[in-house]
Amino acid sequence: MSARPATGLRAGTGHRRPAVGQYAGDRRRAWPYPRTTLGAAAAGAVAVPFLVPPYPLHQVTLVLVYVVALLGLDLVTGHGGLISLGHGAFFGVGAYTAAILLSSGAPYPVTLPAAGLVAYGLGHAFGRPAVRLSGLYLAVVTFAVAVAVPPLIRRLAPGGAMGLPVRTPGAPSFTGLDDDQWVYLLVLAVAAAAFTLMRSVIRSSLGRALVALRADAGAAELLGIHPSATRAHAFAWSAVYAGLAGCLFTWTTGFVAPESFTVTLSITLLAGIVIGGLGTVSGAVIGAVVVTFLPAPGLVSGLALVLVLAVAPHGVTGLVRRAPAFLGRRRP
Amino acid sequence: MVPMLEIGRLTVRFGGVTALDAVGLVVGPGEVVGLIGPNGAGKSTLFDCVTRRRDPDDGVIRFAGQDVLARPPHLVAGTGIARTFQHPAVFPGLSVRENVMTGAHRFGAAGFWRAAFARDGERRLRAHADRVLDLFGLLGLGDHPAAGLPHGVLKRVEIARAVAAEPRLLLLDEPAGGLGPEEALALSGLIRDLHRATGLTVVVVEHHMEFVLGLCGRIVCLDLGQKIADGPTHVVRRDPAVIAACLGAR
Repeated sequence: MSARPATGLRAGTGHRRPAVGQYAGDRRRAWPYPRTTLGAAAAGAVAVPFLVPPYPLHQVTLVLVYVVALLGLDLVTGHGGLISLGHGAFFGVGAYTAAILLSSGAPYPVTLPAAGLVAYGLGHAFGRPAVRLSGLYLAVVTFAVAVAVPPLIRRLAPGGAMGLPVRTPGAPSFTGLDDDQWVYLLVLAVAAAAFTLMRSVIRSSLGRALVALRADAGAAELLGIHPSATRAHAFAWSAVYAGLAGCLFTWTTGFVAPESFTVTLSITLLAGIVIGGLGTVSGAVIGAVVVTFLPAPGLVSGLALVLVLAVAPHGVTGLVRRAPAFLGRRRP
Repeated sequence: MVPMLEIGRLTVRFGGVTALDAVGLVVGPGEVVGLIGPNGAGKSTLFDCVTRRRDPDDGVIRFAGQDVLARPPHLVAGTGIARTFQHPAVFPGLSVRENVMTGAHRFGAAGFWRAAFARDGERRLRAHADRVLDLFGLLGLGDHPAAGLPHGVLKRVEIARAVAAEPRLLLLDEPAGGLGPEEALALSGLIRDLHRATGLTVVVVEHHMEFVLGLCGRIVCLDLGQKIADGPTHVVRRDPAVIAACLGAR
């Protein structure tokens, strides 16, 4: 067979990989750290509720909630290159689905699949027609959803503008845990499952198809990838993730109100995934921290966002991954 | 025997310009056909019609007896047609191996739920992609991002991706474009080996005449949207009209 092409790269060696996220090559490295690190992180995450006082624990739980939402958003935005301004609304619909079921006496495990199912239906209903046109239309359609959902909730949902307080999942007595510890562990379990599923999906045919469509839809189509069906499917599942996250939000806070799910939430989620790093699973985790702790929209948070993007155009994950190469270059 | 590709009266107009004027072409199974002609002769437009990127104004296209024009573009691959582009349309966000795996997309699971649990399928796709990469001498670059590779390698990656789809008809649009003489020779050897091993039907659009003369058993020449010659390589290369249209002009 023919000679190996002269590329200037030593094939098979671990050359520098400055590109990350949507520009990275081998996305098998969705979690680029060894298994032991992953195990340590898991052990640490399980230990958190026994080490951290209740209020910070509540915040850490919220971070995990947003991780689920951002994992979903990243499928569409990071990999698919489509902008969704409606994930806050899907989040809110999931949260309200859970809250209404809980307040009507349903056991809390039922609320999770219900929230996912409702979000899937909405995601399909709005995504399917929107993605046929182009990425910008999806942004506009989802923006319309984000604008329409809070007033609809105010009008139709029980509690109206005042919001709806619900009971949070209680720890079974045999565990001897506090309720907030139990909720944390529940949310952690869902987030871990969501994380694992998403990781294998982005490494699968579906993940590759989304990236291929973003790069060159015409060429991708000739390989047998149906552009609008693939994007609509990804969008619907992305909405499922947002809906599940909304349900987890209700479990965590025990209170939902229309004002929590305005278009600001959608934009904050989008900003979070961009700051964390598009197209990377760890970007979703960092983005979730940003979403949880970002101060209320205003001058300070706006300037902070601009500053972060100026320093780290590929998000925090990109910055961290490029750091070794950068420092190595400085060495004499 | 049913021809692999059968094109009749294919006509494409861009405004007042006729890019293809009632072109007919029949390619038998296992043939390697060179499609030549000066720039603007309608060669790529013909490929675009066969792969459903462009709707012809008139004409029929049959692939192995099936009407191609009745299918949407994403189902063309399923019938067994694959193509490459003049400018390599490699996906920069994916690694070289993932690009080739995308070529085999139709063999994988694409639903979210099934994709999440498609470990075995992924392993098979990966092995399939690695076999194709090995064939093209690209195995060592499998994990490299497709962005930032030299043009010649990208050409090769794109052909590997098309081959990974296991087509019966392979349409190559200027595979040797931008390649050095050695690279072009190696590529031509590769395509010949592939053809010999699989009995694949190949149609090559190419300006590089040595490449075409060395590879193709038959040459079709287009000029200004019309077919001016069609026959065995040794005949067409001496055809005065062909020489005037493309060979002489070089």
